[in-house]
Amino acid sequence: MSGRVDVLVVDDEPVVRDAVMRVLAAVGLTVETAPDAETALASPAADMCRMVLCDLMLPGESGLHLLRQLRARRPELPIAMITGYATPANADAVREAGANAFLPKPFDEDELLSLVRHALALTDVAGEEPRP
Amino acid sequence: MKPNIGTLAILGVATVTAAVIGVMSGLLINAHQHALVAQLTRSADQLSETIASSTYHDMLENRRDAVHREITTIGRQQGIEKVRLFNGTGRVMFSSDEREIGHAVDKNAEACYACHAAGRPLERLGMPARSRIYRAPDGHRVLGMIRPIHNERSCWEAACHAHGRDERVLGVLDVDLSMAEADRQLAHDRRQLILLAVLAIAASSLLLWWLSRQLILRPVASLIASTRRVAHGDLSTAIPDTAWLELGDLARAFNDMTRRLGEAQRQLAQSDKLASVGRLAAGVAHEINNPLTGVLTYASFLQKRAGDDPETRADLDVIVRETKRCRDIVRGLLDFARQTPPRLEPTDLNEVVRRAAAIVMNQLTLVHVRLDIDLAPGLEAVPAEANQIQQVVVNLLLNAADAVAGQDDGAGGSIRVRTEVVAVPRFNVTIRAAACPKGCDLLDKGVRIAGAPAIHMLRRWDDHESTVHLDPVYGRFNHQAAESCDEGVIATYLCPICRTRLEIAEHRCEQCGAPMYGAQVDALGRAEWCSRKGCQGCRWDTVDELGPQLYAEIVVADDGRGITPEEMGRIFEPFFTTKGTRGTGLGLAVSWGIVESHGGTITVESEPGHGTRFSVRLPCHAAPAPMARPAPMPDARGIATSGPTGTRGAQPAPAGGAGDGA
Repeated sequence: MSGRVDVLVVDDEPVVRDAVMRVLAAVGLTVETAPDAETALASPAADMCRMVLCDLMLPGESGLHLLRQLRARRPELPIAMITGYATPANADAVREAGANAFLPKPFDEDELLSLVRHALALTDVAGEEPRP
Repeated sequence: MKPNIGTLAILGVATVTAAVIGVMSGLLINAHQHALVAQLTRSADQLSETIASSTYHDMLENRRDAVHREITTIGRQQGIEKVRLFNGTGRVMFSSDEREIGHAVDKNAEACYACHAAGRPLERLGMPARSRIYRAPDGHRVLGMIRPIHNERSCWEAACHAHGRDERVLGVLDVDLSMAEADRQLAHDRRQLILLAVLAIAASSLLLWWLSRQLILRPVASLIASTRRVAHGDLSTAIPDTAWLELGDLARAFNDMTRRLGEAQRQLAQSDKLASVGRLAAGVAHEINNPLTGVLTYASFLQKRAGDDPETRADLDVIVRETKRCRDIVRGLLDFARQTPPRLEPTDLNEVVRRAAAIVMNQLTLVHVRLDIDLAPGLEAVPAEANQIQQVVVNLLLNAADAVAGQDDGAGGSIRVRTEVVAVPRFNVTIRAAACPKGCDLLDKGVRIAGAPAIHMLRRWDDHESTVHLDPVYGRFNHQAAESCDEGVIATYLCPICRTRLEIAEHRCEQCGAPMYGAQVDALGRAEWCSRKGCQGCRWDTVDELGPQLYAEIVVADDGRGITPEEMGRIFEPFFTTKGTRGTGLGLAVSWGIVESHGGTITVESEPGHGTRFSVRLPCHAAPAPMARPAPMPDARGIATSGPTGTRGAQPAPAGGAGDGA
């Protein structure tokens, strides 16, 4: 591992993790993945990544729980929630818990990239680990 | 046997009747006996008086033969036991029974006892004391009457000098009358009275039994049976409303309760279905969206990197477009489950129909079904969400294909799809909210007429009262009544919940002058109908003022097997399907929800064996002009909120909801 992680992707579906990784890697971003909240919180990537893409419905602890934990640990970290069950109620809950964005599944390459670029631009402005 | 009300009532009443009649009979018989004895006593007294006075002169002149003859003659008469005359010492001087003559009787004998009981003889006695009743040796009763013969001047001065001046009582005349005849009469009367008493008890018990059976037992038994049926979940139970008085009221109250329970249960079942749709949609969305994410992300990723190969590029385009359509369908299902309003954009319905036809074309060709498309040229764009309407049309086409496929041994049938603009007159607006003057909800989601929840009311005429379901489409009269009413009868209409009258006194039918009944359609005013059976007078100022409305109509007609009347009422219900396991029962329910949320209508006409015709009408203009006036806008409750699953207030009113036509 290079010691630099741009995006931490948390999703229990391997196909989603792989697809996201593929798209992001193609634009030169480093991606770490985790299948559930526990693994994600234990991973060093949780402390060093520049943004998190996290599924709302995870086995075990929910995505909302992970979101709160990460938000408590790193208040400035951009976190985007993705979900296959996008309801207004879910969107509200996610926003209240401190997510920066909400992306309903399924999404295409453009939608994903635009979200990630926007999030990373924010971190650039915040001055946290600016990309070279 | 378990005692019941009837048995207990009969037992109680029979006991009381028996006691009363028994005591009365006893008193009567007693009085009768006393009267008979008194009459007999008087007769005996009169007889002894007669004998005493008729023998008086014979005695004075000491003509003993004449006295003997008279006493014998009288003693032989019917009913007279014997007549005898004692002297002062108790010796029988004369008697109708000659064997007794010359015998002396003891002063303690029954004939003498009355006077001689106290030791010293009494000289004068009252009539009752002079009489006595005893039994003759053969057992029959005898009434004896004694008459002391007192000494008087004529007696001691008589020539015979038989009696001295100092004697007080010269002798006693004893007349004995047989009571056999009187006792026979008394026994006969007693028997008659007892027979009558038994008959009275039996008759009153029988009457009571019959009354309790007719008035109490049968209605109660039917009430118990119905209650048990309801307890076992049969809410179609109704007690025949034939009982009288309070039990009749009870039966009506029971039927009313059962009916309302049934309605509540139907609504509960509907919301259960809704909840199931919601759960299913959530599950489907979650499960399908993950693989779709993979497909869409990879496909769009590859699309940009396909280079210059036009074929690969076109293939990837198809994958991306269709995956996005899948995404829209899943979202549509979620939207239906949550009843979210569509995003209305100007949409070319002809284009929507063409796309829908292209999607199903392969399937239709496979089953040899011909599709004729007849699109109105220059159809104006209508406010709609294209994907949702396309889904509706695909649904209708696939249903039609199922209905005609295999009809003529592989020859297939045909489907015609047509678009056109129709001007719908002031009628044909669907009423989607109805309330009584006190605010009770009159819409019955459990009963649908041509797919839409009907308006229920109580109709009363003469001594009839029963439920009617009014056609919710204004101007159409497919009302359904539980009990039919003769043509021309002017009935009274009541709220089935609070029983408030639904007529307004001064509102009269323009056609026949009869009173009009109606319901408040939220802020859209009052819809009214004529209360005379058979008259098609109706009035709804808000809608009448609108004038004709323009609708874009999509008609999908087939010549398939048709829909039976039983199926017709349920085809828009979620999970109702006639296709067995091949259908989900969601197609028409989803379609209904989509069209309703567009402020449109979907209606169906069918003739079993000849075909079915679905018609989808969408308003050409979002907001009808009259609705834009400064009057308060109808709130969301008033319109277009009753989808096939009966949710209310779950969504804001779609634009144009007020002017939807049928």
